[in-house]
Amino acid sequence: MGTTYRVKLKHDEGPRNRKENPRGLKNILSINAGVCTGCRNCELACSVAHTKSFNPARSMIRILKDEAQCLIMPMVCLQCDEPLCKAACPTEAIIDNEKGILYVNEDECIGCMNCVTACIYGGIEIDPLTMRASKCDLCGGDPACVKACDYGAIKIIGATTEGFRQRGQGIQMLTQVYDHESQEAQQ
Amino acid sequence: MTFPYKGYAGHYADIDLTKGKVHKREMDKEWARLYLGGTGVAAKILWESTGPDTDPLSPENVLVLGTGPLTGVMFSPSGRMMFAAKGPLTGVWAESHAGGFFGPEVKYAGFDFVIFRGRALKPVYLLLRDGEAELLDASDLWGRETNVVTDMMREEHKDPDLKTAIIGPAAENGVLYSCITVDIYRAAGRAGLGTVMGSKNVKGIAATGSLGLEAHDMDKYLEANDSEMEKLNDPLWTDSLGSLRNYGTTDLVAVINEIGRLPTKNHWTGFYDDADDIGPEIIAENYRVGQEACHGCAIGCKYIYRVKEGRFAYGPAGGPEYESLMAFGSNCLNNDIESIFHMGTRCDQLGMDTISCGKSIGFAMELWEKGIITEKDTDGLDLSWGNVDSMVELVERIAKREGFGNVLSKGVRKAAEIIGGDAWRYAVHVKGLEASGQDPRAHQSVGLTYATNVRGADHLRSLSSLEELGYPDIVEKRFGKEKTEAILDIMSPKHKGEVVKDIEDLYALVDSAVICKYGTMWPPVFYFDTFENVIAPLTGMQEWSNLKFVKQAAERISHLRRAYNHRLGVTRKEENLPIRLKEEPMPTGPSKGGLPDIDEMLDEYYDFRGCDRETGFPKKSKLVEVDLEYVAKDLAKRNMLAKE
Repeated sequence: MGTTYRVKLKHDEGPRNRKENPRGLKNILSINAGVCTGCRNCELACSVAHTKSFNPARSMIRILKDEAQCLIMPMVCLQCDEPLCKAACPTEAIIDNEKGILYVNEDECIGCMNCVTACIYGGIEIDPLTMRASKCDLCGGDPACVKACDYGAIKIIGATTEGFRQRGQGIQMLTQVYDHESQEAQQ
Repeated sequence: MTFPYKGYAGHYADIDLTKGKVHKREMDKEWARLYLGGTGVAAKILWESTGPDTDPLSPENVLVLGTGPLTGVMFSPSGRMMFAAKGPLTGVWAESHAGGFFGPEVKYAGFDFVIFRGRALKPVYLLLRDGEAELLDASDLWGRETNVVTDMMREEHKDPDLKTAIIGPAAENGVLYSCITVDIYRAAGRAGLGTVMGSKNVKGIAATGSLGLEAHDMDKYLEANDSEMEKLNDPLWTDSLGSLRNYGTTDLVAVINEIGRLPTKNHWTGFYDDADDIGPEIIAENYRVGQEACHGCAIGCKYIYRVKEGRFAYGPAGGPEYESLMAFGSNCLNNDIESIFHMGTRCDQLGMDTISCGKSIGFAMELWEKGIITEKDTDGLDLSWGNVDSMVELVERIAKREGFGNVLSKGVRKAAEIIGGDAWRYAVHVKGLEASGQDPRAHQSVGLTYATNVRGADHLRSLSSLEELGYPDIVEKRFGKEKTEAILDIMSPKHKGEVVKDIEDLYALVDSAVICKYGTMWPPVFYFDTFENVIAPLTGMQEWSNLKFVKQAAERISHLRRAYNHRLGVTRKEENLPIRLKEEPMPTGPSKGGLPDIDEMLDEYYDFRGCDRETGFPKKSKLVEVDLEYVAKDLAKRNMLAKE
């Protein structure tokens, strides 16, 4: 992982680029990467909540680890204002629910992986069993991962300007390591 | 019939390395019901496939990789797995456990157990992936260090999530205490199981999978799981958990030195003047850069270190645990913490047990001091206490089995035989396994733990923290009010036979489940009722909701492992302590003058265990009571049953 990643976004893309909240999203997940121990209990909890089995490979939150550099990187859907995944979906399977939470309608998804390629945050994946796209739906508002994290690394916070700033700060440790700055962190 | 129980992956891989054939088989229902998993099932497999005539390094030995029903199913702390075989260092029962992420991944890849038989014609490694098990060529991996091999395997399979268990050059060269390094900086360290893997021409195992594990009754299991976690989150343990999270096991250097039990100068004494130099505060302040946890673990005791500059500059990497700090530190009168980080990491990469390696070096240093060995024997190395240069060099030479390194690569028992004279007096081991970081002269029950541990002198089969740290309420609840005072007296042998037998049974379940000792050993929260609560809803094995059945299973596993050793010739004579820990009173420190009453404790232990005091052999009636008729039959033929 010796490469330096620099991600440049176009003006209107990314997780948070407007002052207003266009989809009426109430809450977002905020992860403090600095206190995450990489235990992956969140993955287990997510897989239990969504698949009734213990199966980290089907979890919608993922902890990427690089033991050689002792790096732990939590990855989860950011519920973008202008979702790249949604724009890339040919069947309009990625839609908002009534709470403004972006989710995958499995009946419409054809498993083409366009969304996986489009998302630069690693927030959407193909479920290895159903072969359909799978992403965080915030458990409808009460996320299992938050309860499962014994280190208090994952929180559900308000989708406000302050909330987005807090979320940006939570991954500062990683942005420093990878020299990657999201727009949120810049704000 | 299909394997009916949940929580398990449901299959095991039975591998004939000689023929290069992999057989995927359905799990045996009776293995799960009677032996649970991990050490229990491994004992059953090894009892049936190895014995007195098995040379541990021959193709006839069998290496078992085991997980348990609780591995990878969100029970905290349960990210563990184990290996077992007939041990090359000791010649008796050998098992070793490791944390990290490899154990759960083996199950997600579709396997509960792997059995390695025979010997591959050329180096191979095993890939477990989504229900498939495949032997692959390891020619280009052979000879390389464990971290490099992990990188190469991930590259080869284009999978950065691949979890690995790898042997290093030490195992290939036949160092008798070689480990199996798991996920780069964790290890199934003790008793030379890496050496067995190496003798089979197996470089390692890689696992990745997306097969989920189900629960028999998910809601009930999660509820039971939560109620157990509740116990761990009791404010009573806030400080304990806080210490584990902030310092990990390094805290023990300070805690144990304070009671005079920190092995120092080849176990000569239990108090190290310079303990602060290798202790928790200095590590936390100057070297610790992060905290990690094993899979699904709420405790998170692992720490990451970095040495920024100087000759030992390295990291970030997994930091040495208490035992490594003791073995390369106080045990060798070495207060250079950076050198300990270096040797710990080198042992992970070369694939050696840090305890046996450090203890072998400490043993040689004492022989040097006593004039039993000189420069002529050590190929010019000056083995004065704390000589860092010599220690660092010796670690490399041991791994290569070069010169004097070859003598030490056989462990202290065999090294003492080779060196001859009075060397044996300084070889601190039981059954050939170098003693770990405790001392019975400061903690009576440790003596009994060392003596009766089926794999030799270490703490992980039955260490009691109850009297060490003083938990009166728990002692009273488990053993009754009238015994509490005597049990809490750390230097009284009274009732320690009962305590050690009880804890040995408890850990037999811990090691079969397979979960971590934290939460059970310390803080002593989980007990037999934990298994009574969680196993049945998880697996559907209803008998496990009966406490009597649970305890009987624990005794069954304990007795089976003991019987395995009896068949190899272990009797009361071998369940003993080395002369240093038995006859030399503690010379300095807070425990000065201490000696264990090992015979008194052994008598009581055998009584509670249902064994004969004279020989240690089990009673037939006891074996029958715990469903081990087949063991009784076998031992009867060998005259290895107690008189009744």
